[in-house]
Amino acid sequence: MKRICLSMSFGAILGTLYFVPMLLSCANRTENRKVSVLYAGSLATVMENGLGPAFAKASGYEYQGEAQGSLGAARMIHDRLRSPDVFISADPSVNEKILMGSQNGELVTWFLTLASSQLVLAYNPSSKFVDKFKAAEAGTLLWYEVLKTPGLRFGRGDPRTDPKGYRTLFLFELAGRFYQLPELPRLLGAPINPAQVFPETVLLARVQSGQFDAGIFYKHEVVAHKLPFVSFPPDINLGDPKFSAAYAQTSYTTPSGGHVVGAPILFTITIPRTVKNKVAAEAFVRFMLTSNELLKEFGLGNVEHRAGGDITQAPAELRSLSEGKYQP
Amino acid sequence: MKRSAKPTLIVFGLLGGLLLLELLLPIVNLLFHADWSGWMAALLEPGAGKALRTSALTSAIAVVIMTLFGVPLGYLLARGDLPFKRFWIGLVFLPMVVPGLAGGILLLLTFGPNGAIGRPLDAWDITLTNNFAGIVLAQLFVSAPFVVVSAYAGFAAVDSKLEMAAATLGDSRWDIFRRISLPLAWPGIAAGITLAWIRALGEFGATLILAYNPHTVPVYMWVKFESNGLAGALPVAFLLVVLAMAAVTISMLLSRLTGYAEPVGVREHAPGRLT
Repeated sequence: MKRICLSMSFGAILGTLYFVPMLLSCANRTENRKVSVLYAGSLATVMENGLGPAFAKASGYEYQGEAQGSLGAARMIHDRLRSPDVFISADPSVNEKILMGSQNGELVTWFLTLASSQLVLAYNPSSKFVDKFKAAEAGTLLWYEVLKTPGLRFGRGDPRTDPKGYRTLFLFELAGRFYQLPELPRLLGAPINPAQVFPETVLLARVQSGQFDAGIFYKHEVVAHKLPFVSFPPDINLGDPKFSAAYAQTSYTTPSGGHVVGAPILFTITIPRTVKNKVAAEAFVRFMLTSNELLKEFGLGNVEHRAGGDITQAPAELRSLSEGKYQP
Repeated sequence: MKRSAKPTLIVFGLLGGLLLLELLLPIVNLLFHADWSGWMAALLEPGAGKALRTSALTSAIAVVIMTLFGVPLGYLLARGDLPFKRFWIGLVFLPMVVPGLAGGILLLLTFGPNGAIGRPLDAWDITLTNNFAGIVLAQLFVSAPFVVVSAYAGFAAVDSKLEMAAATLGDSRWDIFRRISLPLAWPGIAAGITLAWIRALGEFGATLILAYNPHTVPVYMWVKFESNGLAGALPVAFLLVVLAMAAVTISMLLSRLTGYAEPVGVREHAPGRLT
């Protein structure tokens, strides 16, 4: 009798400890009605307030998004820490280096370019230097003259973890050539200048709360957070594929040895091999590729959907949406 | 009596054992992933050593400040006739339940270069973010409550008859505190200080917001995770586990030296032990 009691209580214990979490995960698994999307952190507002809900409404699928730095997100897929249905990266080369090829287990075999963005100088509207920023916005004062102002604090992304971080380095290098001021990049100090370099979300919080006067951001982030901004010429803002050749004159080597070359800011979308719900993933990618108006509304640029990798591996319906081959 | 007690203990053992397993498995699993030579190389990188120094130094400063300011506050809460006492105690608990990230944002708005306190200091060229000061502020916010609460519990558990007896013998309040209250409450406070130190060492959310640079060990691990993936983060995770184990061991030893075996703020109510 006692033994039965014991084994029953043992079962009960096992039940609570192991089966309850399992049941919870089952309840969570409306698998065939859900699409999970891992995307570049800067798209958080665009995805969570715009395209995600719009897709859910249009398709009836449940949208579940997760924002991570592009590099970090790709590493997570590579290390099998995340298994999304769709992956959106802020840089085509992230796919190529971390997820594609046999050395990466062919986790991604193709991608399509989704949208473009450009770097801008966003500022806090209650900064004490607001008049100077406004003058730069109106074109009566050059932006780098504003950044030279003593006491002005501006921040940028970390080139070790964030493509925006090394793109900012490219921006200043290009600006040095464009304005024929070779000393201009010195405004940044060291590539990883501790006084300027912050993780994406932290930098945004600093500028929004007025702790920093300005920061280098993607235009779509700034539009989403309704911050005023100064635009850069297309020759240096990394937003115009026409200037690809000039952009490619710049490069950066990360402390861990990765080498990146300047290129237009392009977001790519793909269905990685980790996909669990193929039908939903396909529907989501199709929705994204045909939502140019929505993308534009959120400050992104429209581009031709060029295909990288082996597009024959993509579902037929998506293949038909591709417009030529992507050349880095 | 004895025969009916046994199944209870077995069931409790199973319950506790399964929970322990859930705590232990991830650590054992980490060791199975070990790539010792690679890890050693990763931990010998200058960045790792710098992060370790930053963490050790800032958490030591934070612990000293917490003790100097937290123990008096705990005594005041336990023995002083404070108005709105429950309110103050609740306030002390608050940072323990607020997520680190939220704490970091609140701290930034106050101590940031344009914050209520940060702005006037900035005029004097004193910066409280992105340096040791910022790290210590973040650590204080999240871990000082451990010291205050353990001090409060420790002082409240001291038999007030002993303190009254000393008072009738003419001892001043300071003498009573120094000779009776503090020694009796100390084991609990010491355990609280150790917990606070571990908490400060592992602080991530608030530190990330307030002082991304210079990197503490947890922030360094995050940067490695973001830039190099698992291979970059695992050696640092291992280092943090080793540090935590060292802290627990030190806490155990401290308690042993002061005569109490458990590193927790609660003492056994075994008769004869308190005297």
